[in-house]
Amino acid sequence: MSTDEISAKVTAFIKERFLSGDENKELEDTTPLLEWGVLNSMNTALLLMYLRDELGVVVPPTGIVAENFKDIRSITKMVNDLGSPQRATVAGTE
Amino acid sequence: MSTDYDIVIAGGGPAGSTAAAYLAKAGLSVALFESESFPREHVGESLVPATTRVMTETGVMEKIDRAGFPKKYGAAWTSKETRNIVTNDFSKIAHEFGAAEIQFSERDQPGVTRDFTYHVDRGKFDKILLEHAEELGAKVTQNTRVRNVDFDDPDQVTVTCRNESGEFDVTARMFVDASGRQTMLGRQLRVKVPDPVFDQYAIHSWFEGLDRKAMTSNPEKIDYIYVHFLPINDTWVWQIPITDTITSVGVVTQKHRFVEANTDRDKFFWDFIDTRPELAEQLRKAEQVRPFKVEADYSYAMKQICGDRFVMIGDAARFVDPIFSSGVSVALTSAKFASQDIVAAFEADDFSRAMFSSYEKRLRNGVRNWYEFISVYYRLNVLFTAFVQDPKHRLDVVRLLQGDLYDDEEPEVLRVMRETVQAVENDPTHLWHPYLGSLRAPTAAPAF
Repeated sequence: MSTDEISAKVTAFIKERFLSGDENKELEDTTPLLEWGVLNSMNTALLLMYLRDELGVVVPPTGIVAENFKDIRSITKMVNDLGSPQRATVAGTE
Repeated sequence: MSTDYDIVIAGGGPAGSTAAAYLAKAGLSVALFESESFPREHVGESLVPATTRVMTETGVMEKIDRAGFPKKYGAAWTSKETRNIVTNDFSKIAHEFGAAEIQFSERDQPGVTRDFTYHVDRGKFDKILLEHAEELGAKVTQNTRVRNVDFDDPDQVTVTCRNESGEFDVTARMFVDASGRQTMLGRQLRVKVPDPVFDQYAIHSWFEGLDRKAMTSNPEKIDYIYVHFLPINDTWVWQIPITDTITSVGVVTQKHRFVEANTDRDKFFWDFIDTRPELAEQLRKAEQVRPFKVEADYSYAMKQICGDRFVMIGDAARFVDPIFSSGVSVALTSAKFASQDIVAAFEADDFSRAMFSSYEKRLRNGVRNWYEFISVYYRLNVLFTAFVQDPKHRLDVVRLLQGDLYDDEEPEVLRVMRETVQAVENDPTHLWHPYLGSLRAPTAAPAF
């Protein structure tokens, strides 16, 4: 899956599930999700579940850090890194 | 030199009676002294499946099977937030909120041909084990307390006992301390060390008529052990079925909370239960059938658990927090390991400490694993529940919960959990950082 596809899927999920569709189109790929409280503990759990079940990417416990979840761009990069065959290093993992 | 017996055992709980069974089966003469008269009440009512192996070996399993104890197929954890989650995604995200469930049948255990263990009325359970040891040839004397063991004579031990008719001495070639949390020999030898981290305290009783169906979102699992987390740091409630209608319920918390509350046991218990109103509502409908009992003086270790002519087993050797129902498992497994070394000592006619080093190593290893598991659990509850939820780790966690953690140096899953806790501790931006609990095990585990 390309980064654009990942980004689109993650954006759509966050919009639909946490922002009631984001009718004002405020969500951008650099929107600070943690600072704004979009990703609270329950939403983060739901997102992790979505990544696992829909994108086939399991985020290791050590990867659940702010740097990987601060915005859509970071989430996309993390998913891309975790999903690629080389398993490139993700910030916070070994 | 001839002694009255080959072995004297202090204490007739599961550790003492299991050691007596193994040793009597091996043809040794065993005298066991128990200070109380069985049946007597005892805390620690839930078993783990690893106990099945030991009870099968001693031959007592069939008797336990016939006793009608409730079968335990799994374990569940609940937290205050659990009930507020109304989404369909509950089962998948439950772990974020301290909820989890496991079933023993998920993992086949080598040498265990059943997917359940038991919850037991310890009065009955301990009596069956003790009578079994007696049947195998151990000489059991109740209402008799071991007061002191004299090791001055290099060729024998002299055990001083006391009962209602006075004091008397018995000689043996070997002494086994299975005196439980009395830690008879540990205190005599001054080798007992209180746990620096877990200064816990439990208050518990039996309740008649608790509606166990109302205590769970999954009515098929009413006979699991439930651990209900209270919204107070490091504090939880056990719910253990004892019979169809009787349920054991206990609050475990840090001792200082009880001291600070400065109130009586009843009020303390109910004040804590009231922090989970839905639990309190059900529990108040049930009838308390025993006075509240308290277990303090909680976790400890011994600088030494064996020496020339002695070993300590079960709670007399080590007691760890009971969150994972490890107590009877430690008792039975330590009795098994110790008995193997004792039999070898008799064959070699050598009772020096080195003869028991295999026992010491295996027991310390197993209990260190229990301890590490417990520490990780208290330190970062969300990690435990996340690992239960993670298909990659789930069966390894089930294995620990089954009690299969005596053989590996450090099970892989424990190492990963421990390293994850360290990563979370060291990274304030980790999204789990705010969930870190206040009980923090020393990074350098105690050397005992």
